[in-house]
Amino acid sequence: MNREVRNLAFKQYFKYFAGWFIVAGILLVVTVGAFVVKSIGTKSDAHNNSEAPVERVFDYADVLTAQEEKDLSNYITEKEAYGTLDIVIVTLDQPMGISDYEWENNMMNYADDFYDAGKFGWNKPDGDGVCLVDNWYEDENGSQKGSWLSTAGKMIETIGPTEEYAVFDAMDRYIESNPYKAYCAAVDELADYGKFGYGDQGGDPTWFCLAFIVPFIVAGIYAAVNLSQSKAKDTTVAGTYVENGQMNVRSRSDQFIRKSVSSYRVSSSSSGGGGGSSHRGGGSRGSHRSSSGRSHGGGGRRR
Amino acid sequence: MIFKCRNCFGNVVYSPEKKKMYCPYCDSEESHEMKPATSTDMSICPDCGGVIPVAEHTSATQCPYCNNYLIFEQRVEGDYLPKMLIPFQMGKESCKKLIRDKFKKKVFAPTDFLSEVRLNTMQGTYVPYWFYDYDVNADYQAEATKVRSWSSGDMRYTETSYYDVRRNIDVNFRDIPVDASVDMPDDVMDLMQPYNYKELVDFQPQYLSGFYAEKYNMPGNAVEGRARKQMSEDASALAKSQVVGYSSVRQVNNNITVKSAAQKYGLLPVWKYMYTYKDKEYPFYVNGQTGKIVGSVPISTSKVWAYAGTLWACLLIILMCVSMWMSVLPWM
Repeated sequence: MNREVRNLAFKQYFKYFAGWFIVAGILLVVTVGAFVVKSIGTKSDAHNNSEAPVERVFDYADVLTAQEEKDLSNYITEKEAYGTLDIVIVTLDQPMGISDYEWENNMMNYADDFYDAGKFGWNKPDGDGVCLVDNWYEDENGSQKGSWLSTAGKMIETIGPTEEYAVFDAMDRYIESNPYKAYCAAVDELADYGKFGYGDQGGDPTWFCLAFIVPFIVAGIYAAVNLSQSKAKDTTVAGTYVENGQMNVRSRSDQFIRKSVSSYRVSSSSSGGGGGSSHRGGGSRGSHRSSSGRSHGGGGRRR
Repeated sequence: MIFKCRNCFGNVVYSPEKKKMYCPYCDSEESHEMKPATSTDMSICPDCGGVIPVAEHTSATQCPYCNNYLIFEQRVEGDYLPKMLIPFQMGKESCKKLIRDKFKKKVFAPTDFLSEVRLNTMQGTYVPYWFYDYDVNADYQAEATKVRSWSSGDMRYTETSYYDVRRNIDVNFRDIPVDASVDMPDDVMDLMQPYNYKELVDFQPQYLSGFYAEKYNMPGNAVEGRARKQMSEDASALAKSQVVGYSSVRQVNNNITVKSAAQKYGLLPVWKYMYTYKDKEYPFYVNGQTGKIVGSVPISTSKVWAYAGTLWACLLIILMCVSMWMSVLPWM
C-alpha cells in the first residue's frame, strides 16, 4: 500500500468514526472527571459525629472472643474511613419471633432503634451508616437465627435488596464456622458500598455484563452485515422475453378426481397448577420510619 | 477502419451522452468520415502504423500508441456482421458514478477500490450475443388440491379435493439473449439482463468507435442449449401461472413443442472494471444501457479488523461509562 493510499485510508477511517470518537471521548472524559471529583470529595469527608459512642461491636450473644471483638472493632474503624459510613455490628441471642413476619418486624425495629439510640452516623448523628444485627437464638421451637441490616442516610439508597443479599451471602460462607471472619466479610462489602455504591462483585452485574457483551454482538453483526454481499439479483421474470408480454391460452380444464376426508378429536387441555418456590423468612423493607421517626432502609435473612 | 474528424482529423467516437458521433478534439458532432484499413494485417494501426496486439475474437480495440479506436472490418462483415446492437447509453463518467454510489458504503473494500485512477481503467465493450426466437406450445398437466377444514363438536375435519388440471398455451419468445463470448462468464452475463430492446438498432460500425468489441466466439448452435433451457423454464412457469385458486399444485407433465425457431447475432453494451487486489482479479460488469452492476467487492481483512475493532472499542467505552453512571456515580 503506497503512502498516498495509506493516508487516504486513515482519512476515511477517522471520517467514518468521527462521531463515535467524539461521543466516546466526551463520555470518557466526563466519567473520569466525575471519578476524580468523587475521589477528591471522598478524601475530604472526615468523621463528623462526636455524639455516637466509639464502640462498634456489641457482642451480646458472645460469639466472639475478646481479641476478636477488638480486632473487628479496629477493622471497622479502618473500613469506616474508607467507606465514609458508620458500621455497627450487634450480636444477639434472644427470641425475635417464630413467624417470619414477627421475626422480621422485631429484627427491623431492634436494628433501627439501636442505630437511632446510639446516634450513629458518619457525617452527623443519625447520618450515614448501617447497623448489622445478627441473632443467634435457637430453642426447642426452632431456630431464630438470622441477620438484619438497618441502613441510614445515604446508605438507604445505596443498599437495596441485591446489595443486602450480597452482604448476607458474604457472611453465610463463614458464619457458623467463624463468626469473626463472617463479620469482617460483611464489613468489607458494606465499606465498598459506602465508597463506590457497589460491592466486590463490581456493581450492578447486569450493566457490566451488557457493557462487555453488547459491543461484541454489535461488532459481530456490523462485520457480518458489511461482509455479506451478492453479485446481483436476477431481475428477469418468466415473461421478460415473451412477445408483447402476452400468451395465448388455447385450452384449460379443471377436472375433479376424488375427495378424501380425515378427522381427529380435539382434546380439551386442562391447565395445570403453577409451581412456586419458597425460602425461609427474610425480605427487604425498603425505606421506612423507625419508632423514633427517623428514616431507615434495610432487610434481613433468616438462617 | 477508423473514424476521423473532417475538421481536425482527430478520432471521432460515439458519445453515449450525446447519442451521436463526437470529436473529443474539436467538439464537432457528426463530423466523422470512415477511413478504411490500408492493410489486411489487423495488427498494424491504420493511423500510426504501430503494431497492436489483437486477440482472436477482437473486433474493435484501441491503439496503445495513438489511442485511436480501431474497428476491424473483417470481424464485422459477412458471417460476423451483427444484425443489431444496443448502443451504449451510459458513458464512462456515468458508469463511474454508478459504481461509486453502489459501493461507497462498502467500508471493508480496499481504499483505492473507488479511486479515480482505478475506475479510469474501465473499458466499454460490445459483447457478442445470440438472440433466439421461439414460438412454442406448452401442454401443462398438474394434480392440484383444495383443502377445507371445519370443526363439529370435539372433532376436527379436513377435506382434500383432488383435481386434474390442464392448460395449453401458445407463447412466442423473442430475442432470448445468450452471450457468445468465451471470456465473459455466463452467470454474470445472465445477471446483466434484461436489456431494453426498444433501443435496439441496426448495426452500424461507427457505434463501435470509442469502445472495445468482440465477434462471436461460438456459433449459435453451440450456445442454444442455454436459450432453450430458459425458454422451457419460462414456458412452464407461464403455464403454471394460469393455475390459480388451489392449495397445492404438483406438476405431472409439461410438454413443450417448438413450432418455429430463429436466431440472430447482435451486440450488447457492457462496461468492465477489472480491479486487482492482492494478485487476485475482481471483475465488475455494468450494463451499458441500464446501469445494472454485477460483481462482488473484494474484502480488506485489515479493514474488517480495524473497523469492527474500533466499533467494539467505542461501544465498550460508551457502555462502560454509562454503566458507571448507572451503578456508581449516582452515589456521589
